[in-house]
Amino acid sequence: MLNKVHLHALILIFIFCCLFTLPAHLSVAQENDFEALRREAVKIKTLKADFVQKKSMKILSRPLVSEGLFYFATPDAFRWEYSRPLRSIVLSYKNNTKRYLYSEGKMVEDKTGGVQSMKIVLGEVAGWMTGKFDQNPSFKATISKMANTSSITLTPVDENMKGMIEKIEILLASRSGIVKSVKISEGAGNFTQIDFNNVKINETIDASVFRDVK
Amino acid sequence: MKRIPFLLLLFCLFSCQTLPVIHPSPFADEKSFPCPNPFLKSQYRLVHAIEFRMAGETRAAVIGVTLADPLTRAVSCSIITPEGMVLFEAESTPDNLKTTRAFPPFDAQNVAKNMLADIKLIFLEPKGKLESRGYLPDGSTVCRYHEKDGSWVDVVETEPKRLQIKRYTSSGELKRKVLFDRKGNIDQRIELHANEAFNYSLLMSLIEAEPVIAK
Repeated sequence: MLNKVHLHALILIFIFCCLFTLPAHLSVAQENDFEALRREAVKIKTLKADFVQKKSMKILSRPLVSEGLFYFATPDAFRWEYSRPLRSIVLSYKNNTKRYLYSEGKMVEDKTGGVQSMKIVLGEVAGWMTGKFDQNPSFKATISKMANTSSITLTPVDENMKGMIEKIEILLASRSGIVKSVKISEGAGNFTQIDFNNVKINETIDASVFRDVK
Repeated sequence: MKRIPFLLLLFCLFSCQTLPVIHPSPFADEKSFPCPNPFLKSQYRLVHAIEFRMAGETRAAVIGVTLADPLTRAVSCSIITPEGMVLFEAESTPDNLKTTRAFPPFDAQNVAKNMLADIKLIFLEPKGKLESRGYLPDGSTVCRYHEKDGSWVDVVETEPKRLQIKRYTSSGELKRKVLFDRKGNIDQRIELHANEAFNYSLLMSLIEAEPVIAK
């Protein structure tokens, strides 16, 4: 379970990373130029964003809303934090990855073996970080342009991944190229919509953010 | 040969347990002696934060969504990671159990069946025969139900709004203990303690509760 669970978590991290490393000029998308994506991605040194995650399922009458913060610093430092309804934090810094859960008034380390698999997958995420949408063998990437938006669609190629995720759609604002939202479809009416706000790029982030739970 | 009775005695000591003694109430009817009842009275959709604990340590945390109808005894449930991945989805009626999604370890044999049995234990009134109502030796009020599968369910009120459910095997071995912490109409916190080969606990904290209006 943990491999798949954490893989899902890391897919989200990957999305968070990739979406903020998309180029500001949408002509890139129009030209369907993944190489340009990679060139633009290297300009991102740090980023911080708020996110609101809405989980829709048949069993729910309205989406289940989660909120949190995401931090990243090159080459591979992450902090991925949910503040509600269930507090949890994934920290990754200098090849040291930990996951924390809120329990009985404090954050406790997740001691399941999944943390080890997270380290392995984070290695892949580091590759994704550089905007290599079309170079991950697990997904097929396509770019399409609509009236006021453009989107990148990632479709799983790997059979195991197909059982977990149907597709991932990344929606970009037309003029700014900033990612507005991500939709992860799991099939059977289940999907996760993530909306991003307050994106801050290349601001100084203290290293303790990636090391300490706080 | 002399050892055989001794071994039999040891076997009985370790395998045969007895149910707690109930001192029967002089009032045999529900009006005079209402049974403790922490169960849902109507269909509800409940969302809980669930901590999974073993050996006193939190091992995992997930979000659980339950849709339970006490009238039809239909139950649906989903288990979701904090990141939004659906690990498990199943629905159960009195006649059928259907699992629509199950990633390990939820795909293991009997996990779905046991999980839905636990959910029914927590949220739905026992459908077995009410065998006795009265008091435990510590003074708690109790109603005891005998289920069709031979198991026993005690619903206990230790003090006002402090309720427990205990499920015993047909031989009297305690398998589940559920503790409720009620504020208002819905339990804010539920603890389920399971006695299995590896004992575990589930701590369920209510995120939201929504009554389901029949269409």
